[in-house]
Order: sequence, then structure tokens, then C-alpha cells
Amino acid sequence: MKFNSALSKHSDEILSLLKDARNKDIRIGDVMSMAEIMMNSMHAFFESMDMAVYKEMRDIASYIEKAKGDISNLQANKLKGEHIPVAGRELDEVVAATEAATDKIMENAEKIMEADISDPAAYQTVVNSCVMEIFEACSFQDITGQRITKVVTTLKHIEDRVSRFADATGVRDGDDYVSEEEEARLKREKEQILHGPQSNDDATNQNDIDAMFD
Amino acid sequence: MPEHIELLNFGVEYMALDLSMEVLVVDDYKTMIRIIRNLLKQLGFENIDDAADGTEALSKLKDGKYGLVISDWNMEPMTGYELLKEVRADDVLAKTPFIMVTAESKTENVIAAKKAGVNNYIVKPFNAATLKAKINAVFGEA
Repeated sequence: MKFNSALSKHSDEILSLLKDARNKDIRIGDVMSMAEIMMNSMHAFFESMDMAVYKEMRDIASYIEKAKGDISNLQANKLKGEHIPVAGRELDEVVAATEAATDKIMENAEKIMEADISDPAAYQTVVNSCVMEIFEACSFQDITGQRITKVVTTLKHIEDRVSRFADATGVRDGDDYVSEEEEARLKREKEQILHGPQSNDDATNQNDIDAMFD
Repeated sequence: MPEHIELLNFGVEYMALDLSMEVLVVDDYKTMIRIIRNLLKQLGFENIDDAADGTEALSKLKDGKYGLVISDWNMEPMTGYELLKEVRADDVLAKTPFIMVTAESKTENVIAAKKAGVNNYIVKPFNAATLKAKINAVFGEA
């Protein structure tokens, strides 16, 4: 509005100057006056534009400030540098512990299978000793159970942070980003029909499979 | 019990179960190989060999004389499914009995394996009785 009225006023002044200058030689002073009028017009224009741009910039700055706060609350560095590596290490420990326990159980089972049954007393000693070791090996379940609980807690923590971040920023799911590596993995899974272990509800049981081979 | 009975779909022959035949166990988990080896020993098999994936298995199959392949599905780089198709496509190996032992338990997998020519399919976890029953079924023993 301010710009429009200023422009209209300045246009009138230029028109009046031009009318006065008709049939006369244009003097340098007239040109200077016209330039001054033009400059005043543009000043008003830029002034109005400055205010709009300033407001936009201020809104963007405040949005960035809020986003920084939301990102900071997400604690991405802590998640990446602490929670996720710890969860990974816990899972590695679970794999190692189950592997070690399975090895020990199998080793003892094999000893029993290979034991000489011709001497009952010696056989009983071997069996008792192996069974004790099998019991001991089974104690892995307690420790791995605790480790898995820690991993589940970490996953819940991450889920909580991410959902709070999504709510705060109002972000919506975009198109799925798939890296080249992931794309190759998905392609292989599709071609090779790799689903991995299924839950009991989704799995086809052995009896149903047997029926397909009858 | 006839020694050679043609199976309708895949041209695989029933053969009398020979406990001295070489069995190839293919799995990328050493523990699983150990379990299957022990179960096979309990069932009376004497010659058991193993491979960690389809590629190694195929190479061993081409070099040796195996009477039965017991393979996992999900392995790298070559899956058990790919191995099965390679075996069936090879003139020399095509009739080798092949049992899939896997955690892939979707109907889609069973159908695909059957179409590719698998002789039987066992879902993990399994027990000795199931393994025995499937081996007997493949070799036409009651």
C-alpha cells in the first residue's frame, strides 16, 4: 500500500516534469530530478520488500532455532555414539555366549555318545560329569536374558526419542530412501526368496509341508 | 523294494538307503553342521562331509560322489535354493537326492523348492525323528 501510493505520487511528478520539458531542450537538472524521483520510488519499493524479506527471515530463523532444539532433544550423538554401539556389543555377547554354551553342551553330549558302555561304573562317571557340565552350560540363558533385556530397553529409548522428534517437527514419511547396498540386498532377498525365520503364526508347520510332498 | 524307481516330477531315482554313501551337509553355521552330523551318525551314516555354502557344496559335488545332499537355504554367496537349481541343471548331478533343512518356512519357499526339484523339506528347528523320516521318504523306505 505504502509503495503503491508513493509510486503513484512519483509518477505524477515525473509526468509533470515531462509535460514542462515538452518542446524544450532537456537540461541536465531535469534528468537529475527525474533520476531522483525514480530513486525515491525504488526506495519505497525496496523498503516494503525489506520488511517482507525480514519477516520471512525471522520466521525461518525461529523455525531453525526450534528444529535445533528438537534435534538436540533427540540426542542423536548419544544414540549413535553410546546407545546403539552398546546394544550392538550386548548382542555380540549374546551370540558368543550361546555359541560357547552350545559348543559345551554338544561336546559333552558327544562324549556321552562315544563313552565305553562295557564298564558300567566308568560309564556312569563319564555321564555324571558330562551332565553336570551341560547343566552349567545352560546357565548362559540367565545372562543372555539380561543382555537382551538391555537391548530391548535401548530400542524402546530410541523409539521414544524418534517419535517425540517426529511429533515435535511434524515431519511426515517421505519416499523410502534405499541405498545401493540395500537395494542389492532387497533384490537378492526377492530373487532367492529369503524371508528368514517366521513367527509361529506366519510359519508353515512341518505337517502342512509334509502334505505338500505326499 | 525296487532299487530304482523313477520319481514322477524330477526324474530323481529312489535308491536303496545305503548307510555307507557319502552325505553332504551344507550349512553356514558350524553348530548346525555338527548337530546334523551327530544325528546322521546316530542314524547309522558313516561318511559325512560338509560345506559352508552353495558354492563350496557345488564344487565338492562336482568333484566327489555324494548320495545325498542336506542343505540349508539362507547362505552366502550361493543359497541352498540356488544350489538346488544348479544341481538339477547339471546332467551328472541332476538325480542326486536333495533335502532342504531351513528356517525359511513360508509356503512360497516350499512351493519354489518343490518346483526346483527338492525331494523333501524340513523346517528348523527339527528333531532326529523328522530327519530320519524324511531321509527314509526320499529313499523310499517305510
